[in-house]
Amino acid sequence: MESLTAPPARAPLLIGENLGLRYGLHGSFHGSSRGGSAAQVVDAVVGVSLTLAEGEILAIVGANGCGKSSLLRVLACLETAPRASGRVEYRELRASARSVAHRLAAVRALVPQRPEATAAFSARQVVRLGRFSVGPDESAVDRALGDVGLLARAELPVNTLSGGERQRIAIARAFAQLDRGGVGGGVLLLDEPFSGIDPGEVARIVTALRMRARAGAVVLTSHDPGLARAIATHAMVMKEGRAIAFGAAGEVLSAKLLSEAYRSPMREVGDWIVPDLTASQSTERGRMRS
Amino acid sequence: MRTRGFIVLGVAIVVCALMRSAIGPVSVDGTIKLALSMPAGEILAFRLQSVLSAAMLGAALGLSGLALQSLLRNPLASPFVLGVSSGAGFGVAAVLAGAYLFALPAVTFGGEVGGAIAGALITLAIVAWLGRARVSDGGDHGSGASDPTALVLSGVIVGAIFSAATMLLEQLVPHGLRGDLLSWMAGRLPEIPARSALATVCVSVAVGWIALASQAGALDVASLSDDEARSSGVDLGALRRKLFLVGGILAAVAVAYAGPIGFIGLIGPHIARKLVGSRHGALVPASALAGAALLVSADAVRQWIDLGTGRLPVGVVTALAGGPAFLWLLRSGRWNR
Repeated sequence: MESLTAPPARAPLLIGENLGLRYGLHGSFHGSSRGGSAAQVVDAVVGVSLTLAEGEILAIVGANGCGKSSLLRVLACLETAPRASGRVEYRELRASARSVAHRLAAVRALVPQRPEATAAFSARQVVRLGRFSVGPDESAVDRALGDVGLLARAELPVNTLSGGERQRIAIARAFAQLDRGGVGGGVLLLDEPFSGIDPGEVARIVTALRMRARAGAVVLTSHDPGLARAIATHAMVMKEGRAIAFGAAGEVLSAKLLSEAYRSPMREVGDWIVPDLTASQSTERGRMRS
Repeated sequence: MRTRGFIVLGVAIVVCALMRSAIGPVSVDGTIKLALSMPAGEILAFRLQSVLSAAMLGAALGLSGLALQSLLRNPLASPFVLGVSSGAGFGVAAVLAGAYLFALPAVTFGGEVGGAIAGALITLAIVAWLGRARVSDGGDHGSGASDPTALVLSGVIVGAIFSAATMLLEQLVPHGLRGDLLSWMAGRLPEIPARSALATVCVSVAVGWIALASQAGALDVASLSDDEARSSGVDLGALRRKLFLVGGILAAVAVAYAGPIGFIGLIGPHIARKLVGSRHGALVPASALAGAALLVSADAVRQWIDLGTGRLPVGVVTALAGGPAFLWLLRSGRWNR
């Protein structure tokens, strides 16, 4: 690892220690115990540790299937033993008589890679669902819709919106969930939040994320290292379920580390990190000659 | 939209109930004919009891269908399509045949309900598992959806197996009981319902209705992907256990009471969605009312059909009307939203 821990400036909001996630080959709920053969299980996340403090935005990058989404699910406490291992701790989680699911909903919200809304709800109704555990607050719903630029289309049925707009509605639902009277808070966990969203709207959502991260924190996965470097304060590079680097975004998101993570040459162009196509072509030519 | 939807449902139930109460045999010049005339006294009481019986059974099926559609995140789910009704039917037949073969005392309605519940819940568990297993192989990642057609196919096959097993049991019982079982398997509303049986259905509907209505908010959130629902604070495991029990038990009670009656549990919630929208606060009562209106109207229709062989089983009417409606849903893709 390049850097084992990123020293947080403030008290950590989220601590993950030695996190692991093991899937059965067919997504079985008891994959680790079924059959008992090592060949039947896949280690999606192995020994990942991280801390995240207020005001921080962490970008997790890595190749397809490296365990980014799985790590996000573990951090969201959606995976439990025996599949998941390690310790996830949210500083703001309060002891109360309410169920764990309710209490967790007040301190973290997840936007999955493929959000769904099967019922014929309006966009506003979907965003309102985010308030299920934390109590109704129509102004929080309005703020969330405004932040993703969909206030004017809030009454339309969500299944008539485009894929990118539905993605923005899912983000708005998470915003509404963690809205505390106009102040953001808690930890937003976003899996590929910008997929299918045009650059103008990406800028709008990034602004909203930064605003909300002031009183909370954000963890997002991204396939775009340049965008990740532009948004995030911290970054983690994952490869085969492990964190090969974790630290300040400017240091961790280097062409060298990303070339290792993607198993393909990358190069820096200004602030961006892009695939080095000339190197790929020469490698390919060399391969063909031999 | 919601108020208008409930008005439509209310009017539909009243009209269907009036139709059902008014249709009946009258004696004209010494010959018995079917006619439309509002009876009085005991005959009216008798027919109103039939209306109540059909309405409660329809409500049970409508609520069961809604619970199963939410449980499996599948708009094509219903007790009949998933084979749950066949499983419950097998449970009842097994209890009746068992009592006969082992010379046990006569089976009460409670015994039949017990057999039906066991059969229904076992079938539901098998079919849900088959649907999920298929999706898991396809790389499901936290969405929670089952493949609609795979699930329905599993239900049809499991239902066919239980129907065949029921027929096998029919061969083991004497002629009279076999005849009863055969006509009951076609979906037959009891002409003179036993008070205790009707009361059991009413109580089951009330309990199921309250159980679903109390989860209306969670059911709304559960229409998102599994990960989003859980992230929003819904305990999906607990919710699904409730849906499993409500969906299975209501279907079982309905089968024990009147045999497997098809398509009410499928079409009822779809009509309700069209009329009152997708929020479960309205959808739960609307599904019960739509199921009730459908079964009372099917009961009214069968009164008109006189083939000289006694009243048609109501299951024949619901299948003849509901089957094409199901195919239309499947073909139009309207179940997809």
